[in-house]
Order: sequence, then structure tokens, then C-alpha cells
Amino acid sequence: MKTFLVLQDGEIFEGQGLVAQNPFPEKAGEVVFNTAHSGYEEIASDPSYFSQIVVMTAPMMGNYAVNKKSWESKQIWIQGFVCVQMQSSERESSWSKCLIENQVPVMTEVDTRRLVLKLRNQGTPWGAIVQAPTSELAKTKAFALIEKQKNIESDWVHLCSRQKIEDHSGQNPKGPRIAVLDFGAKENILRELRYRSSAIRIFPSRTEASVIQDWKPDSLMLTNGPGDPAAVQKAPETIRYFIGKIPIFGICMGHQVLALALGAKTYKLKFGHRGANHPIRDEILNKIYISSQNHGYAVVAESLPKDIQVTHHNLNDGTVAGFYSKRLNLLGIQYHPESHPGPHEASQLFDFFIQNMHQNQVSTDQPKTAGTLC
Amino acid sequence: MPKNQSIKRILIIGSGPIQIGQACEFDYSGTQACKALMKEGFEVILVNSNPATIMTDPEIATRTYIEPLKVQYLEKIIEIEKPQAVIPTLGGQTALNLALELDRLGILKKHNVQMLGATPAVIEAAEDREKFRSILDELGAKYPQSEMVKNFEHGLLAADRLGYPIILRPNYTLGGGGGGVAYSPEEYKRMLVQALHESPTSEVLVEESILGWKEFELEVMRDASGTFVVVCSIENFDPCGVHTGDSITVAPQQTLTDDQYQDMRDEACRIISRVGVQTGGANIQFAVHPTTHERVVIEMNPRVSRSSALASKATGFPIAKIAALLAVGYLLDELKNDITKVTPTCYEPALDYVVTKIPRFAFEKFQGSKDILSTQMKSVGEVMSMGRTFQESLMKALAALEMNSEGIPDIHFNLEKMSYPNSQRIWHIFQAMRHAIPMTQIQELTKIDPWFLEQIAELVKFENKLKTSPLELPLLTRAKKFGFTDARIGKLKNLTAKSVRDLRHTHHLRPSYLQVDTCAGEFLSSTPYFYSTYWSRAEKTQPPQNIVAVIGSGPNRIGQGIEFDYSCVRGVQALQKLNYAVAMLNSNPETVSTDYDTSDYLFFEPLTEECVLEVFDFIQPKGFIAQLGGQTPISLAHGLVQNGYKLLGSSLESLDQAEDRKQFAEICRGLNLMIPQSTMVGGLEEALACEKSIGYPMICRPSYVLGGRRMEVIENQGELISYFQRHQDFISSSNPCLMDQFLTGALEVDVDLVRGLEWTVMGGIVEHIEVAGVHSGDSMGVVPPQRLKPETLLKIEEMSRRLADRLDVKGHLNLQLAVKDDVIFILEANPRSSRSVPFLAKATGIPLIDLGIAAQLGLKLSIEEQNKYQWRNLSKICVKGVVFPFKKFTDSDSILGPEMKSTGESMGRASTYSEALVKAFLSSSITLPAQGEVFLSLRDKDKVPLLPILKNLKMMGYQFSATRGTADYLKTEGIDCLMLNKVHEGRPHCVDRIRSGEVQFVVNTTEGRHAIEASFDIRRACTDYSIPCLTESDAAQAFVLALEKSKTGRIEVSHLA
Repeated sequence: MKTFLVLQDGEIFEGQGLVAQNPFPEKAGEVVFNTAHSGYEEIASDPSYFSQIVVMTAPMMGNYAVNKKSWESKQIWIQGFVCVQMQSSERESSWSKCLIENQVPVMTEVDTRRLVLKLRNQGTPWGAIVQAPTSELAKTKAFALIEKQKNIESDWVHLCSRQKIEDHSGQNPKGPRIAVLDFGAKENILRELRYRSSAIRIFPSRTEASVIQDWKPDSLMLTNGPGDPAAVQKAPETIRYFIGKIPIFGICMGHQVLALALGAKTYKLKFGHRGANHPIRDEILNKIYISSQNHGYAVVAESLPKDIQVTHHNLNDGTVAGFYSKRLNLLGIQYHPESHPGPHEASQLFDFFIQNMHQNQVSTDQPKTAGTLC
Repeated sequence: MPKNQSIKRILIIGSGPIQIGQACEFDYSGTQACKALMKEGFEVILVNSNPATIMTDPEIATRTYIEPLKVQYLEKIIEIEKPQAVIPTLGGQTALNLALELDRLGILKKHNVQMLGATPAVIEAAEDREKFRSILDELGAKYPQSEMVKNFEHGLLAADRLGYPIILRPNYTLGGGGGGVAYSPEEYKRMLVQALHESPTSEVLVEESILGWKEFELEVMRDASGTFVVVCSIENFDPCGVHTGDSITVAPQQTLTDDQYQDMRDEACRIISRVGVQTGGANIQFAVHPTTHERVVIEMNPRVSRSSALASKATGFPIAKIAALLAVGYLLDELKNDITKVTPTCYEPALDYVVTKIPRFAFEKFQGSKDILSTQMKSVGEVMSMGRTFQESLMKALAALEMNSEGIPDIHFNLEKMSYPNSQRIWHIFQAMRHAIPMTQIQELTKIDPWFLEQIAELVKFENKLKTSPLELPLLTRAKKFGFTDARIGKLKNLTAKSVRDLRHTHHLRPSYLQVDTCAGEFLSSTPYFYSTYWSRAEKTQPPQNIVAVIGSGPNRIGQGIEFDYSCVRGVQALQKLNYAVAMLNSNPETVSTDYDTSDYLFFEPLTEECVLEVFDFIQPKGFIAQLGGQTPISLAHGLVQNGYKLLGSSLESLDQAEDRKQFAEICRGLNLMIPQSTMVGGLEEALACEKSIGYPMICRPSYVLGGRRMEVIENQGELISYFQRHQDFISSSNPCLMDQFLTGALEVDVDLVRGLEWTVMGGIVEHIEVAGVHSGDSMGVVPPQRLKPETLLKIEEMSRRLADRLDVKGHLNLQLAVKDDVIFILEANPRSSRSVPFLAKATGIPLIDLGIAAQLGLKLSIEEQNKYQWRNLSKICVKGVVFPFKKFTDSDSILGPEMKSTGESMGRASTYSEALVKAFLSSSITLPAQGEVFLSLRDKDKVPLLPILKNLKMMGYQFSATRGTADYLKTEGIDCLMLNKVHEGRPHCVDRIRSGEVQFVVNTTEGRHAIEASFDIRRACTDYSIPCLTESDAAQAFVLALEKSKTGRIEVSHLA
């Protein structure tokens, strides 16, 4: 049996399955690539990668084994893990063992360079990792899996969001009470908020505004999450209720849905931004820095209301990396100030949210920062 | 912020002669910076004393000064050129220290020159260990416990507190010079004395040992607005305890989690911001405990460095170029990524391959010094390779070292050799695994991270599989993906490398060439910078028709260094001027030739027959150039021609006739040219039979040696017998020993010429200052010759032309000749560009490499043009100075002989011979003491010839001390002299006096193995205390001439025309 990654256009990439992965979990998803050197655990446990097969451009994976403390959620979300080489180690907590336990198909020895150039040139297609004796049989199997995966609920955020309200106590008694609308939150967003808040309450993505309002939050956090923002149900309406009432901070999917709530439009990028080396010009913190990124969609700059200022630019391709309105007291950030994986420089945006945007509502005591800052 | 408009003229200081710890990486960074600044419209004033550099080519800068890198010369240049700014961060520690000194003496202020890139405060904050430590304290960064020691007693107390092993780091020295690890109090005391002496400020940091911790390095950049990027993370394969220049290193880092890495990145950012690097590059080294992950800062360099050159090549991010542009006011987001051309420079390269650097050592050249690696750098060069996996990259790098075509040959295993860091350890690790030594034991002994060892274990496990399974396509494919060379596969399967290659080709198993694009494929990039891999089938590009390949010189080694990179780069440029597309092949990350900007196609590949052939099969060059990269391409030429590729210039037959001693001797005889008596013998008996026909003294050497290894001057029968006894392992009838007549007291010269189709241009004749017998790379030289008669020069020219005609040279020819009693002997012919070519090109202004390319392409040269190049019409006299690494090799002898030991050269350029000598000595860091005591220990035959010089020294006010024989002689000649004991005569003896600092310089001429051994301590003391020591009477004469001149205090500088 050979292991194949079959793309929706019929192109096939051959690789090796892990011998220990038996039976082999065959899965389909959107095939995307990430250029970060390290952080495979953070990536695989990030709900934003729901329904995606991740191709790592860095060839050597599993080098430093596994440490669940660095996970971004309680589970592995990816539909497949593709790389050049996986460290085959006797060591207890190996990454390959972990992926096997979590039923994630692993494919090594893939010509990821050729694959990535294809994704870059043609966009990120659907694909499936399957095992079959011949490529023809692999195609048949893969196309069926792809069709099935395409037909799942289109509101992926709903699939990844918590289904019940969850309360966390904050570590800054003088800090605000923050409502979190969970689109598939990374643990580190919650961690950054806990450091700076007195309490956070996490709400499922389709929560009614009134339910949130009942808790009387000082501000609203919209988290990251997977898929197409336009497919997210209910949340734009919920958000719209709070616009202008309390400070709102959206990250990634949160930023996109916030834009939709403001009446703006989003579009699918050709192959997205996934990595830890994208330069950002940040007009709020007034600096240029390297950011952690993971998104397939972006906000159309021209579609934003006039008084919303695009304050953050991706310097590689000029796409909208963030917007801010002082009047409406809202901030959207397309990339990941919570990092994990990636550089920490943008974590000051959490301080901006807590200090500047809450100015008139909460104590201005200096909160403790989670990440270390430059 | 756009560029600074107030600045028009910028001074750039180079790094001087090549030495261990400061090599051609600074030619790379300086050249890159000059080009970038010139392009921006600045006027660049360049100063460097090293003529073998590309940066000192006149077209690189507005004004080029080949002058000593000393304050007084710099001040003069500043007076003349009036630059508004100086960038001190591009020329290594030399430039940084010099700029600091210029500042401290108020010279910069006096002439209104501002420092760009790093201010004195910044340099001190990073380089002064105490200041740096207080900054780390402030930032909460940890560092190994240590104490700054200013004297011996203090040092002893500090060691009591810190315990052993203990690390010594003298302040403000280069490449960890004078430092090391002491394991015992005895060792510590000895090292402390020297370390205190080494530091220009007499300060030594003694430090708690972090031996065995993992070591990392971050190459970072920062612009004036505070934008910070990490260009490259580097992880050392060798744990802490080995100088990073001597470690095998890997990029990007492999074994840190993202959390650990990002914390390190944050700390680097805080440090560089707090130290205050306003603009430019820096590197910061860290150590991480293997189990607790505790992190400490080791050091920081606020300048471009050897690692930044490596990082630039590894990632495609041109650090030096960007550093220069940031220094003049640009911001990172205003500059475009050089490789993608569309994205900005404020990014961190993403690598989809693994880079391995392996240093190359030269311990065999320095008998007596132990092959032990420590905190003082000892390697003389390095290779870099790229592969898709660590294994492929490591195996390619091992092959690229050009030490063994198998890359990982079987060796005689020695467990002890694995238990401490040494230049052979990597091969002993492979061998240990072949011997099934348990991984845990290897890990315990080496402290190398298990991840690396697991990777190697997999390779060794596969070797067994290769041995036992049939060589079918899947297995062969796997072997190539692992990076096994055809030669190694052949060895394991009892096949020749060629039959493995043929098998591979029948299966169409070929490498792909992937692009280094800085972004792991995320953006389209058109920069033609490639590496090979068997892991991909991607990116088939069609190279153009008109492509010529230039083969580089591989890792720097003693005898083959920057001079050949100069030749290659000039050659590439000359070919481009003739509208050829040029593909450059090289494996040395320190060079200008491996800048992706230099050629049209850069292949960063091992210079082995296998790899070069694959590249040729891929690009199908019209022809290839083998005359520019030293001996490496010459030895590849046969295989390449046999496979159908066209060697440009001299044919294989010509090369063989020049290289093969027998053929060459016949040719010389046919032309009535004299060659020294010579024969080959298979052992002592034969040697004794030929002893009469050769006569004493004679030179003996095994026939296959390179660069003069195991070559000795034999004075009598006793020594002959001893020679054969000592080297019997290397001499047999299949590996005979060469015995050559040694021409005592002859003058030696280097001749370089270029012969084309019906034309020949003489490049010049360099007259050696030392007598024949000293390796031409180690002797000082002068052009135009000062001692040879004009008619002898004419004769030399005439016979050189004749010889070139007879050999049918097309391109370069280098000859080494000896002149004795007006008779000219031919010692050696090299049918290629030589070490002396860049020196001559700078001295004469004749574009030798360009002419060589024209000759190799068979181009015509008009009579007018031929007549234009007259090497004897020189406005300046140029003296070549030499730099030796003896200091780094404890217990090595500084006596000069037929085996080359120098690492670098300098040029002294002036209107008079004596002033050129002064400059050459100063540029080679040889001090010219204005007064004081001269210690003499002369062999009998030098006493009379040196007498006038000694009288002269006496008149100049120097005093003398000497051992009995010399002292007695001086007294009979009426010269006062303090008589000192020889070492065996009891203390205090002459070495005590040298070590006490009483002696300003030493003349020690000696011959015969026993006398040489007996006087070793004298020379070693001089090396340890940086006291000039002349071991040859002609050199002593030159030195005294220079002393006399330097006392006049006159300083004159001039730029190249």
C-alpha cells in the first residue's frame, strides 16, 4: 500500500505513511501550507485549522517531541499532517505517536516544495490523504472523502466553538470582565485575557446578544476560528448589538466577523497567510514587527465604513491586517497577537485593548503582561 | 526615513590580512556594503591592507587605499579624503577596534567624522564584558557566573570561587584569542598569564563553565525605528565548550520548542535595543541547559560577523548590504527583499531546507599542537551545504570538505577521540555507531543533543542495510536521499563510484536543484541561487545556451584561500563582460563568489566530481573554467573532460605536463632550462644510493603531499636516515619520496604570466625576501625585484615565455624559480592562477584575471594592448607581508620552511622599498620597536653577513643580548652584548629574559633538526608574547631596513590608480 495526497484537480503526491499508523485514518480537508520553523503542536491543536490538511514547509518535524502544555486547545484539529521528515525516535512522547493516537493521517517524504509551489500558484484546493495500491484507486477513494468533507456544516466556527458557557476567573482583580465569543479560540488568547482581566466568560458562537448582555461584560472579545467568515451564523447580529456600547476586540476570524457586522465584505485569499514571519505595520503601537499568521480570508479594505481606519497592514501583500475605530471603540486584528507559535511582539495589543479601550470604564492599573515584550 | 542626505563620503575599514577568526567573510560583507553604498550614490573610501580581496579592486569603491590598518595611516587618509562618516561594523573586530581607537584619540571628532552603524558607546556596551553584564542584569537576562580579573592574584581567588573547569575570555580579542578552558589549577595558571597578556586592556573574564549546554546563535537586524528581525537562528551540533567557529552548526535551529525559541528571540530583541544598536546587524549567542532549559547569554557582537556571512548564505538575506543601507538611514520596510524583489526586507526568512556548516582544520600543519577544540578558534576555513533534511545536508557538507570522497569513510575507531572535542570527532561518532557503541554512552561522552545523534544513528543503520541488500532502485534512492555519496555507496557495495553513478543514471536518479528563495516558496522569486537535493522533483528551469561554469576553490585551507576567490570573482565578472552567463560552483560560505549577486547562477554545492558533474548535466555549460579556484578545480578537470565537458584554456595535456614532475623535467631539459637535481626513492636504501647524485642539503617529501606537508630540508646523512625512519608510514615504492637538490642561499621568485592565442602578457616577477627553501606562500616578497639584476629579469621573462609556449598554456601560468649565482633553476610550474596573482594585479594594475579569461576563451589581443601592460613601470614598490597563526596553536614552531603555514597576506605600498617594508610589517601586525634590546642567536654562516646590520642597529641605539657563541663573536667585533644562558645552561636563561618582556625583538637563525628543536623555546616565547622573531637572515635585513625607516616617523598614503 502506498500513501497518497490527492488534490481535487486529480494531481497526486506520493509519500510515506507511518508504519505504526495502522489502520490508516484517511481524511479530507483543505490543503494549506505553513512556513513556521517550529510550533507544530501549537498549529495542530489550533481550532482554526479545522478541516485542513497542513503541509509544513520546514522539513524536519517532531524534533522536540510533545509537550501538551503548549497546546492551543484540548485536541488536535487538523485533518492531516504533511512534511518531509518526521523524527523517528525511541523517546516516549514522540510527535508521530501523538498524531497516531489522535487519528491524524501523517504523510512524510512528500515533495513539499513542489506541492507548496502548486498551492501558491493555484490556490489551496481540497485534498485527501489515502492509502491505496494504485494512484487510480487512491483518486476514487479521495474524491469520495473530499465530497463528504465538503458537505459538512458550512459554519465551521459553530463546529469548533464551545457549546456551553464557560467561566474563567481572571488574575487581575482590578481588570475588566470580558465576554468572549468563541469562534474556536486558541488557548493563548484566553490566557492573555485571564492575565489582564478579573473574569472572563466564554460564550458559544451562536449566543444571543441578550444572553451576553445579561452577564454585563465590560468588553467583548471575538476569537479566532476556522473557515469562511461569511458562513458564520448569528454572530454578526450579536456583535452589532454591542458595537459602540462596549470595547470590542476581534482577532483573526473575530476580526473578519466584526468587519461583516460593520457591513464590510470579506474574500478568500489565493493561498492564505500561514506562518510566523509576516511583517506588519502597526499604526496603533506605531511600529513594524513580525507576526504570527493563520488565515485564508481577508477583509476588503474599501468595504469598511468610512470612519473605520485600516491601522494595520500586511507589508508583504498590502492586505488589511487590522482596523480600529476610536469612536466605536473597536479593534480588529487579522493576525495573532497571542502568538503561539510565532513572535510575541504584537501581544501589546492586548494591553492596548485593556488599557486604552477600557479607559473610562475600568481601573487603569498596569496589568501584568502574559508574554514578554520587547 | 529615506537616506541621510548630509552624508556624501563614507569611509569603510576592512579587516586586513586573513587570520584565524577573521577570514574572507569580511571581504564578502565589505564588498557587498561598498556596492550597495556606491549604488546609492555615496562616495566610498575603502581602506584595507589585504590585497587578495575583491573589495580592494579599484572599481568597488570610489577610492581604494591598501594601507596598514593603524591609527596613524587612517588619520592621514581621513585628512586627505575628508569623509563625513565611517562605518566600523563591516571589517570584523579589526575595524571595530580601530574605529574605537580613532574615536578615543579624538581623531574622528577633529575631522568631523561620525560613526554610522554603531557608536563607541554601543560598541563598548556590547564588547566590554562588565558593561554588557550590567545590561543583562538590568534586563533580567542570565549569564554564566564570572569575574573580571585584572591581575594574576585576583585570578587565583576568582578560580577558587568559581571552581573547575573554568573558562578564560580575554577582553577585546579576536576569535577568543588567548582564551580557553582550564581543567586544573596548573593549566589555569599558565593560561591566565597568557590571557592577561593577550587582552589589550589586560582584563580577562574568568567564567563558570557551561560545558555541555546546547549552544545557539541568533543573527539579528534592527533599524533606526526599532524594527527588529531575526535573520537566522543557528544551532550548534557541538555543545558549549567549543568555539562557535570550530563547531558544526545547523540552521535553522532544530531542537527548541517554539516557546523556548520565542523567549530567546524576545531576549535578543531586548538586548540589542538596550545595548543601543541603532542600525545594522548583530549576533547574540545563547546557551540552553539540555534538561532544565535554563538559558544564559554567552556574548554579543554588534557588527557583521562570520556567522552573519553564513546566515546570509543560508537564508538569502544579504545582512551586510542591508546593514550598510540601514547605517545611512534607510528603514527595513523601505528596502526590498533582494531575492523575491516584491516583498519588503522587514521579514524573517523561512527555510524549507536545512543548512550545515562544518569547519576545516589544519592541525597537521602545526606539529606539536594538539588537536583539541576549545573556546579559542582554530579552524582555517569552512564549508556549508544545504539539503532538504539534516541528514542530506550533513552528508553533503562532509563530502564538501574535500577530505575524502566517501564523506563518511570507515576510520580506525578510537573511543578516546570521541570523548573530547577535536577536529575528527564527527567521524569517530559515525565509527562508534558502526561499532554498536550504545547511544547513551555516546551522548554521555559528547553531550551532543540526542536529536542529532538519532539522525546519525539512522544513517549508520542504513549503511548496514546497504551492505546486505541488493542495490535496487528503492534502496539507491533512499541512499541518495540520505546524502550518501556515490563513492561511499560504492565502497559499501564493492563498486567504483563511477559504476554507482552509471547505475543511478540508468535509473534516471538525478538530483533536483531547488531555489533558495527566503520564503519557503510562499512568493515567486527569480534569484538563481540553487542547491541540490534528491528529495524533490520541483522547479525544472531551462538554463540559457551561453553558459560558462566557473569552479571555485572550496573551503579555505592553508595554501588555498581568498586569493583564489578573488580570481574566481574577477573571472566571473570578465566572462559577464563578454556576454556569457556564468554559473558559479562553490561550497565556501565565507566568500564573495558565493554571493548570489556575483554570478548569473549560483550552485552551492560540494566541489566533488559527483556533484559538479550533476550540475553540469543540469546546466549543460558551453565550457568550464578550472584555472581560477586553485588546485580543487584542476583535480576535477580530468573527470569532467572525460564526461564530455569542455575545459576552457590549457588542455588536460598541458596541465599534466606542468603538474607531472617527470614530464615537466623532460620538457625543461628539452628547453635547456635548469632544474634542481631530483629523484624518487621508495625507501631509505634507495635514498642512500642516490645521496651523492643529489648532494646535501636536499629537500625530501612524500610524492603525493599537498602544500608541502612532511617536507623537510635534510642537511646530512644522519638527518636523511632519521627522516626516513620518522616518515616510513608515508613512503613506499608505490608512494615514493621525492629527493630534490636544495639550492642554498638562492633567491626565489614567483612569475605569473598569461598566454593567449599568439600573445603573452607578463604579470610580473615577485622577488622573495626570504631565501629559497621557505614556502613561497610564507615568504615576504617584493615587486619590482630589488636584488635581481635587470638582465636576469629579462632572462627570466624570456624563459618563462618559452616554457609557456612549450607547455602550450592557454591562460595562466605561475612559475617558481630560484636564482643562484645568476643561474636560474625552475622549481615548479602551476598551470593556473596562483596565490600571487591578486597581489600582482593590485601592484601593477594589470587585469591579469581578465586577460586570463580572454586567453582561455581563445580571444585575440592587439599589439597595442599587449604593450600596454608593462609590469615593470610601477609608480610604487609593493611588499607582500605574511600573517601566521602560530599563536593559536600552542606548542607549534614558528620557524619557516618548505611547508606553508601562513593564513594571510598584506601589502605594503610606497615610493621606497623601506617604507613599503614598514607598511607590510605593520599590516601583518609585526611591531617595529623604536628602541630596546635585541636578542640574537645566529648560526655560524649568518654571523658575518649580518654584521653590518648589527652595527647599524647599534648606531640606531639598540642593545644586544645573545647566547654564548653569538655573544663572543659580537665582542670580537667590538659590539657590546649581554651574554645569556642557553635554556639547558640553567636559569635565568634567554627564554626567561624574553618572557620577562626585556627583549624587543629576536633574530634566531638556525638549521639542522637538532638545532631547530633546541631553539624552539625561544621562538615559542616570541609567539606567545607577540615579539617579532626573525628566523632567516634576509628577513632580518629587511626588518632592520624597516626599523630604520620607521624611526623617521614619516607617513605617506596613496590610493590605487
